[in-house]
Amino acid sequence: MSTIAARIEAVQQAASAQALFVATRALAEADHGESIDPAAIRCLVEVLGFNNPGAAVAAVDGLIRLGSSAVDPLLTSLDPRNYGARAWAVRALAGIGDVRGLELLEEALATDVGPSVRRAAACGLGQLQLASLEAAERHQVRERALSALVAGCTDGEWVVRYAVAVGLEALGRRMEPLPQQRQRTLTALEALSRLELEPTPVVRLRARLAQQRLQEQKP
Amino acid sequence: MSLPSPVPAPLAGPGPGAPGSGGTGHPGDPIDEVEALARLRQSDDPSLQYYAAWWLGRHRSRHPEAVPLLLCALRQRRPRDPGAGVEENAVARNAARALGKLGDPAAVDDLLASLDDEDDGLREAAARALGELRALRAVPVLQRRLASGPSGAGAVRSDSPRLHEPCEAMLEALGEIGVAEAPVLAVIEPFTAHERPLIRSAACRALLQLSGEPCWATELLQLLEHPQLQVRRAALMDLGAVGWRPALEPICRTLAENSLKLIALRGLVENGEHHEFQTEHTAVLQAMDALL
Repeated sequence: MSTIAARIEAVQQAASAQALFVATRALAEADHGESIDPAAIRCLVEVLGFNNPGAAVAAVDGLIRLGSSAVDPLLTSLDPRNYGARAWAVRALAGIGDVRGLELLEEALATDVGPSVRRAAACGLGQLQLASLEAAERHQVRERALSALVAGCTDGEWVVRYAVAVGLEALGRRMEPLPQQRQRTLTALEALSRLELEPTPVVRLRARLAQQRLQEQKP
Repeated sequence: MSLPSPVPAPLAGPGPGAPGSGGTGHPGDPIDEVEALARLRQSDDPSLQYYAAWWLGRHRSRHPEAVPLLLCALRQRRPRDPGAGVEENAVARNAARALGKLGDPAAVDDLLASLDDEDDGLREAAARALGELRALRAVPVLQRRLASGPSGAGAVRSDSPRLHEPCEAMLEALGEIGVAEAPVLAVIEPFTAHERPLIRSAACRALLQLSGEPCWATELLQLLEHPQLQVRRAALMDLGAVGWRPALEPICRTLAENSLKLIALRGLVENGEHHEFQTEHTAVLQAMDALL
């Protein structure tokens, strides 16, 4: 099995789209053992900007596996002019669930032009990991994620509203929200499930499923 | 199956709502319904009409003037003049597409007439619109235009890579309209052996919608593994349009963008009621959640 350094080099030397995909996947799946090589993270982040969707998907998977150590490189090396790279970074941050990505996820759901980016952001907002936070910060993060998702209920694309329903369910299930937050979550889902408010059947269905699951859960 | 396209193709610029597209007067700028109607009403600048027609369809305008103005635009067509920039024919094509989306049966007569237009692009747009309107009266016309089969209607033209008829759109329209009579099925069936996979996909989709016979799903499921991405995408959209529930697993496995798989899976939930295969909705929703 090749070392991390050799796999990084294979990505850098890749001469075709297919070779880049194969090399990126190999790097993404590499076993880092005890300590993660920062060069591997930098390399995967760089691939996000190459306009190669296959390789970018593999890099996102790899960055999600590396978890919180990938958050800073993702946030600091973002080129605001490279829309594609930003979109992939949002997906990676959504998958990692680190609260340091909160601001970027909020912004992406509210303003990104790509529905696939907004949908990833909506999902990510429901999956933020809060266990290690102080109670006050945890409350604040929950509040912001909830507000962002409630605003996302009026997105123009059905797939984003679908993802908002999924995000709201995840937020409600995993974050033990306060009774007032719980009520706002259920109200938002109610709006997504009503025929006169939500035109897309599959969104209504998903919102009803989320409502049901949250109501079965002990408040 | 044609892929969803958020911006009208020949004028593809920033879509409505795209950031940084402030200012006024450019056809790609965000506009409102009043402005769209005004742009369609004038006839000095076809490029403004072109965008306005698309806008009214995209936003499902319910304004009482929308359909009459679109019908006017549809009648604007004339012999092609490639040097004329955005031609009136392009306006007519967008008007036909918009009329399909607005769902007003008052558009059927003019769309039917457009099925015999010499512009095959307009015939294509009209066929799709009539399919969306579920226009029963379009069935005999579509049958007539497809009757010569893959070696006639489906043959490649001598002057371009296009076929003599817009077969894909016409086959899909027959499936959407839903007249499942033997003569209709007999016109569609030969196209399942067409040399182009996209035409085979459209024919199988229509037959599966009309007959519910699983044999027509076999080809569609095989096309999900076709080496060309464009073909895999079309098969995804077609299985979604049919709502073919047994395709759930194959759709999830297909090598294509998650965005398209999500649209296909949405179809399994929303279009699947009339089939005997009733997977729990929850299984489809779970698969969709995993693709977000």
